[in-house]
Amino acid sequence: MPLRVTPGMMHTQLTRNLNRTLTDMSKLQEQMTTGRKINRASDDPVGITYSLRYRSELQANVQYQKNIDMALSWLDFNDTVLQQAQDVLKRLKELAVQGANGTNPGVALGNIADEVVQLKEQIIDIANSTLNGKYVFNGEKTDIIPYDPTVPSFDPSQVVTDSGAIYYMVGVGVKLQINLSGNDVFGRPGEADNIFTVFDEIINALQNGNHAGVTAQIANIESRMDKILTQQSEIGARVNRVELMQNRLKDLELNLTDLQSKTEDIDFEKLIIDAKINENIYQASLSVGAKIITPSLVDFLK
Amino acid sequence: MRSTFHTLETSKRSLFTQQAAINTVGHNIANANTRGYSRQVVSMTAARPIEAYGLTRSTIPGQLGTGVEFTDIRRIRTSFLDDQYRNQNKLVGTYSIQADTLDKLEAIINEPSDSGIRTVLEQFWNAWSDLSKDPENVTGRKIVRESALALIDAFNSISRQLDDLSADLTTNIEVKATEINTIIGTIASLNTEIRRIEGLGDKANDLRDQRDLLVDDLSRIANVSVIESEAGYTISIGGMIVVDGSTATPVTAQALVGAYQNGDLDSGEIHGMIVSRDVYVADYRRQLDSLANTLANGEIQVTIPAGSYIPPSVASTLNPPLTSPLANNTVVTVKGINGLHQLGYTLEGGPADRFFTTSDGSTTFTAGNLRLNSAIEDDVNKIATSMRLDAGGAVVRGNNTLALLMSELKDTRFTFDETSTGNGVTSATLGSYYNALVGEIGVIANRMKRNMLNSQMQLDQVDANRQSVSGVSLDEEMSDLIRFQHAYNAAARLMTSFDEILNKLINGTGVVGR
Repeated sequence: MPLRVTPGMMHTQLTRNLNRTLTDMSKLQEQMTTGRKINRASDDPVGITYSLRYRSELQANVQYQKNIDMALSWLDFNDTVLQQAQDVLKRLKELAVQGANGTNPGVALGNIADEVVQLKEQIIDIANSTLNGKYVFNGEKTDIIPYDPTVPSFDPSQVVTDSGAIYYMVGVGVKLQINLSGNDVFGRPGEADNIFTVFDEIINALQNGNHAGVTAQIANIESRMDKILTQQSEIGARVNRVELMQNRLKDLELNLTDLQSKTEDIDFEKLIIDAKINENIYQASLSVGAKIITPSLVDFLK
Repeated sequence: MRSTFHTLETSKRSLFTQQAAINTVGHNIANANTRGYSRQVVSMTAARPIEAYGLTRSTIPGQLGTGVEFTDIRRIRTSFLDDQYRNQNKLVGTYSIQADTLDKLEAIINEPSDSGIRTVLEQFWNAWSDLSKDPENVTGRKIVRESALALIDAFNSISRQLDDLSADLTTNIEVKATEINTIIGTIASLNTEIRRIEGLGDKANDLRDQRDLLVDDLSRIANVSVIESEAGYTISIGGMIVVDGSTATPVTAQALVGAYQNGDLDSGEIHGMIVSRDVYVADYRRQLDSLANTLANGEIQVTIPAGSYIPPSVASTLNPPLTSPLANNTVVTVKGINGLHQLGYTLEGGPADRFFTTSDGSTTFTAGNLRLNSAIEDDVNKIATSMRLDAGGAVVRGNNTLALLMSELKDTRFTFDETSTGNGVTSATLGSYYNALVGEIGVIANRMKRNMLNSQMQLDQVDANRQSVSGVSLDEEMSDLIRFQHAYNAAARLMTSFDEILNKLINGTGVVGR
C-alpha cells in the first residue's frame, strides 16, 4: 500500500478497472452472438483440436450416409429388376406347361410360340436395364450395353458380361459391392439353364411341334428361377447390412453432434447470468468512480 | 552588531522564499497532467544566523536568526523505481507485440469456421467419394476439379497473407529503428543541456524529467541499460552503446536483428517483432508448406485390389516392379496424391499425369506455389478414376478403384518428411497434422495473452508506486498553497509593522517640544 495516494493514481486505477470490466463484457457478448465458446484457437487450445476432429468426422459421416442412400437405391433397383425377370419366367413356365400338353393343335402352338418370342424380347430389355444412365448388368462396363441387339448375328446366349464389382464406400475402410453381373443372373454361355438358350430351345420346339422338347426345358426354367432367387436373397442380405450401417451412422451422427456441442457451444443460461452480473459491476464501478474522482480540495476553498 | 534594518531583511527574505514556493506550487499544479512530470519542492533552510565566531564578535547574546533562504528546487523522484519501471516496460513491449501478431495469425488461420482449410480439405475428399459413385460422369469430375481449386486457393491465399504479415513486421522493425534514432538524438542533446545547466550549480529538473520520459519510451521499444555519469546518461541497447554523453550513435534494423540473434536484444517491442516474424510466422509457414508438400508428395501406402492395371511406365519404377493385372491385393508405396493419381487411367484411356503442379517448376511444393495441373484444369476428363483395362486395352470407365483409393486418403497416414528443416519425420493423417498445427498456435497465443496481461498488471503497479512518490496531488498542492500564502501574508504584515516601528524611530524620535 503506498503511503501517499494522489488523485491521478485513483483516476488511473478507475480507468484500468473499467477497462477490465469492459473487456470481460466484450468477451461475453462475443460468445452470446456466435453461440460458441470457442471463437478462436486461443480460447481453448485443447478444445479446438477436439472440435476440429468432431467436425471432420461429422462431415465424413454425412458423406457416408449419402453414399449409403445411393447404394440402397441401386440395390432396390436391382431387386425390382430381378422381380420383373422372375415374373417373365413364371409366365414362360405357364406357357411351356401349356405347350408341353400334347393335346394342343398346331395353331395354338404357333400362338404360344409368338408370345414366347415376345417374352424373350422382354427379358433382353430387362437385361439391358439402366439406372441413372448406367447399365446395371454389365459389371464395371456401365457405359456399354451388355446384350447389344444391333450387333450382327446377335445371340444373347453367347454374351459374356463383365464381372467387375463396383464398390461404394459406406464407412471408414468399409467397401460394399452393389452390383450384379448379367452372367450370374441370366446364365453363362454354354450352361443348360442359360435363359436365352432355354428361350431358343422352347421357341424351336414349339415351332416344330416338339412337345417333348418343351417339357425338357421346364426343369431348366425352374433351375434358372432358383438361381435368380439366390441372387435376390443375396441382394436382400446386402440391403440388410446397408440398413444396419445406416442406423449405426445415424447414431454416430447424434453422438458426434452431442460431443461437438458440449465442446463448442455456450451454456446459455450461465452466460446470461454472467453478463448480467458483469453489467451490474460495471454500473456500480461507474457510479462509485464518479463520486470519488470528482471532488477535490479546490471545491471547498473559498 | 545588530543592524537597524535586520527585520526588514528577514521579512524580505521570507517574502522571496515563500514566493518561490508559491511559484513552484503553481508550476506543479500546471503540470499535474503532464506525462513524466515529477513534483518539485523548494528546499528551505534557515539562513545563516549572526554572529559568526570571530575577533570582532559583539557580546549580545546570540545567535540571532536571519530568516529563511532556499537552497534549491528539487524534484521528488526515486531512480530505483525508474529502473523497476523500465525493466517491466520492456516485457510489456515484447509480449504485447507477440500477442498482437498471434492474434493476427489466428485470424489468418480462421478456425473454427466453415471457410478454413479443414473444410475445403473435407470437401475435396467428399468430391472424390461422390466421383467414386459415378466415375463415367463428367459432373462428378467437374466437382472434383472445383474442390481441388478451392483447396489450392485456400493454401495460396494463406501463404499470401503470411507474406504480407511478414513484410509488415519488417517494415515495423525499420520504423521502430528510426524511432529509436530520433529518441537517442534528443537524449544526447538533453545530456548536453543538463550538463551545462548543472555545471553552473542549478538543478535542471524539467529537462531531467523530459530525459527520463524519453528513456521510459525507449525502454518499451528495446531493452536498455542506463548508467548515469557526469556526462549524462550512457544508454546501451542490446549491447550496443547508443548514447554516450552528447554523442548519439544511430542503430540500423540489421544491427538490431544481429543483436537479437546473438542474444543481446532480448526484450522490448523490436524483440517482439523479430520473434513474431522469425519464429511464429516462419514456423506456421513452414508447417503449412510441409502440409502442402506432403499432400502432393508425401509417402503413403495404399492397397491396390487384385485385377487392377497399372500404367507400365509407372509399374516399372515401383519397388518391386509390378505386372498388370495384379494377381493379389498389393500394398504399394507412392508419393502423395500425385503418385497415386499416376497409377490410374484417364477417361480417354491414357495413363494419368500428376494432379498437382508447382507454379515455379520446383520439385518441392509450398503453400504458395501449389497449383492444379493445367491440363486437368482445362479438361476434366484427364482426372483418373479407373484402374482397369479390358481385353482390348481400352479403359473400363465404370471402374472406380482409383477414386475409392483417393477418397480413402482422408484416413491414410502420410509421412511428413521435415528433416530439411531439422524437424524429423512424422507419420500422421493430413487432418490430424492440421489440427495439431491449429492447437499449437492456440496454446502459444493463449500463453502470450496471459503474459501480456500479467506484465501489464505489474507495470501498472510499479507506475502506481512511482506516482505515489512523484505524482502531483492537487489536494496537497492546494493545502501547501494555503500554507505558503499565510506565511507570505505574515511576512508582509511583519514588514508593515516594522515599517511603522521605523517610522516611529525616524520621524518620531527626538522631536520633543517641536
